[in-house]
Amino acid sequence: MTASAPSATVLDVRGVTMRFGGVVALEDVGFAARGGEVLGVMGPNGAGKTTLFNVISGVQRPTRGEVALGGVRLTGRSVDRVAALGVTRTFQTPVMFRGLTVRESLAVALAAHESGGAYPPGPERGLLACGLGMRGRRRADAALAERADALLAGTALASMGDRPTETLAFGEERILELARALAVRPAVLLLDEPLSGLNPDEIQDVLDAVRAARADGIAVLLVEHAVGELLSVADRVVVLDHGRTIAQGTPAQVAADPVVIDAYIGDELE
Amino acid sequence: MIASLWQYVLAGIVAGAIYALIAAGFVLIYQVTGLINFAQGEFAMVGAMTAASLAATGMPPLAAAGIAVLAAALVGALCYLLAIRPARAATGVTLIFITLGLDVALRGAGLFVWGTNPYALEAFSRGRAITIFGGVLQPQALWVLGTDLLVFAALYLFFRYTYAGTAVRAAVANPPIASTFGIPLRTFAFWSFIAAAAIGGLGGVMVAPITQATYEMGLALGLAGFVAAVLGGLDSLPGALLGGFVLGIVQKVAGGLLSTGWEEGIGFLILVLVLVLRPQGLLGRAARRA
Amino acid sequence: MKLSSQAYGPIGLLLAALVAAVVWVLPSSYTGLLTLIGLYGLVALGLNLFMGYAGQVSLGQAAFVGVGAYTSAALAVKTGLTPWLGTVAGALAAALVAYVLSFVALRLRENLLALATLALGIVINVVFNEWEFIGGSSGLKDIPGFALGGYVFDQRAYAVLAWLLFALGIWFAGNLVRSSFGRALIAISAGELGAQALGVDGERLRRQTFVLSAIYAGVAGAVYASVFSYIDPTSFGFVLSVNFVLMSVIGGIRSLWGALVGAAFVVVLGQVLRTVVPAVLPNARGEFQQFFFGVILIAILIWLPKGITSRLSEARRA
Repeated sequence: MTASAPSATVLDVRGVTMRFGGVVALEDVGFAARGGEVLGVMGPNGAGKTTLFNVISGVQRPTRGEVALGGVRLTGRSVDRVAALGVTRTFQTPVMFRGLTVRESLAVALAAHESGGAYPPGPERGLLACGLGMRGRRRADAALAERADALLAGTALASMGDRPTETLAFGEERILELARALAVRPAVLLLDEPLSGLNPDEIQDVLDAVRAARADGIAVLLVEHAVGELLSVADRVVVLDHGRTIAQGTPAQVAADPVVIDAYIGDELE
Repeated sequence: MIASLWQYVLAGIVAGAIYALIAAGFVLIYQVTGLINFAQGEFAMVGAMTAASLAATGMPPLAAAGIAVLAAALVGALCYLLAIRPARAATGVTLIFITLGLDVALRGAGLFVWGTNPYALEAFSRGRAITIFGGVLQPQALWVLGTDLLVFAALYLFFRYTYAGTAVRAAVANPPIASTFGIPLRTFAFWSFIAAAAIGGLGGVMVAPITQATYEMGLALGLAGFVAAVLGGLDSLPGALLGGFVLGIVQKVAGGLLSTGWEEGIGFLILVLVLVLRPQGLLGRAARRA
Repeated sequence: MKLSSQAYGPIGLLLAALVAAVVWVLPSSYTGLLTLIGLYGLVALGLNLFMGYAGQVSLGQAAFVGVGAYTSAALAVKTGLTPWLGTVAGALAAALVAYVLSFVALRLRENLLALATLALGIVINVVFNEWEFIGGSSGLKDIPGFALGGYVFDQRAYAVLAWLLFALGIWFAGNLVRSSFGRALIAISAGELGAQALGVDGERLRRQTFVLSAIYAGVAGAVYASVFSYIDPTSFGFVLSVNFVLMSVIGGIRSLWGALVGAAFVVVLGQVLRTVVPAVLPNARGEFQQFFFGVILIAILIWLPKGITSRLSEARRA
């Protein structure tokens, strides 16, 4: 394990175990991720990668163990509280907000971030301010739309702000979901197979966005089946198999690890 | 005090037996289609009104009862074919509203056909009331309890020992796999409506001699039926039976001790408590995502 | 000047002004129908926010109408409080009841939420029936009307009041759905986990919307009590809750004007049926129009699941 000063650690996963009935999905998984690094999470199908993301983001509560962000315990908090504290994620199947346009989808993220962590949100963004159409609120909403457009300008979705999300192609959905996640300026970003279903151009776009996020000091956790791409972008890699951590290290170390090769080949032969 | 309490319990057992039949219909449809059929109580209304109005023309009660159950089954089939099947692409809430529409439409149809006057139906057998530990049970109560026994035994045997029953259980456990084995889910959905309607109609026929039959009886019966179904566990037939009896007894005891107005209210308070504390019901398996 | 259908407040006021004009030439029975359309439209508007935008379902909305009606009526009858303040009290009471119930009901979804709201609606109705202080099953009568200065409201004034309240309601709702609040609501109902992962507090949004829908219902109920000067528990039963769902669905649950269209449809069709059907079928009595309502509800859901207004706006776009 790479030694690191505790202050540099953003996300701390400690002894996480997750059981569903008799099935063990995760067994004593622990690692740390620092801001400004991409941590690849590898493993064959059923290794527990998505369960790990669910535990970190608060979708599921672990049977044992805990997750902390900068020393603040996340375990036991709801998904939206975890997000407000700085951990956001994407999903294997992109979750679209049907009924909203691309710009509005981003504005939802920006508005959530605006009130982020402040519970309850201030009166200026509550039901009354919105319903009464208060000028401050309207101005703030207009500003959100402008910021949404500015964020879109840097992506493949530039000039698509008015498109209803229903009309997006699959790759565009992935890119919108990623843009949404980045809009809340997270400390930790969990990406669940962000490359699957994308064409080569889109894959490059997403990898560029991941590198840009790293440069911004975000800790990116990346689950990805495309092992080549994952190893090319990751700074460190954690390998799971049957819910256990079987290897951790730099991409080069992991790629050469016979245990890892065995796990992958073994599973492919099964 | 104790004597009247015991009498309430006996009355509750009889009411509960009726609720159990209607609850069984809910469970059948829910198991096969994942749908809560808000129109379930109207099948009982159709059964009760058909039997009572035919008997009023001089037809022997048992013959009228038989035709009434067939009429209810026919209504069930029509409900499925005209309202549920055409909307099979719809999502959960839309289907809820559709069965709600069925409930309203059937009650209105009942009003057209039979008017607002109540119909009486003679008890199926004469004979003196039976006394159990000082409590009184009318002969009709034995018919009701006997019907429960037959219906639930038949359902048990069907699901346990017939090919079709096993196939339904497989389909419920794992729909995608079942359809790859060629199990026709849509046919099952059709037959689940017919069976649920027939059983509900039978419940209506049985209760008519006790409470009289009116076009609006289906609402209260249907509501009680699904309180019983939720109480027992929406996916459990034994749960429907247990839930029916528990609800019937609680209602009659509460009604007797507080006031009859609370008979219905107490049932719904229980429903809300169960939904929040134990959504899978007393005997249901771990909650299916509803 | 071109008014877009999004100009909710101005158009609402325009309609209220139109109502204020026509009530002088309209026979008084039609005036009563206009009042009902305005009040039911207000309830349906709240329901559209909760069902169409927040993606939930309520089969107990009539109970909130009842809470508003009973609060205002009981205060007026027992303490002589003016219905103006009674309406405020009715709205607050409905909001309070909804707030408390939300902790029970809003933990559930779809099927089970439908059941829970239905059950809670009926329990509230049982309370109306059993609470002798508010008249029990015989209800409250001789409920005082609204007055402004020395002027006591007649049917015409109530029609205008109802439509003014609707205008206020749709103005507020219109602002809401086009604000960040409304967008967050749509996001939560379309992709709950995805929105939560961005920090959107769905539970809070749903609760607020539920309470708001109860306020709309409570206001309508309070005015209803004074318009008819008599209420009893049967006025606020399950059948009325179903009719509110019908209004929402007919107009389209994600359309604010749809609430008014749905309310008008149900009120007018009910009146037509009550006039026409007995002429054809002399035996028809009671609430037989419900049969047609049920059939229409099913037909709309099968062929026009987004409601009548969706077809209108599609036609306009084409």
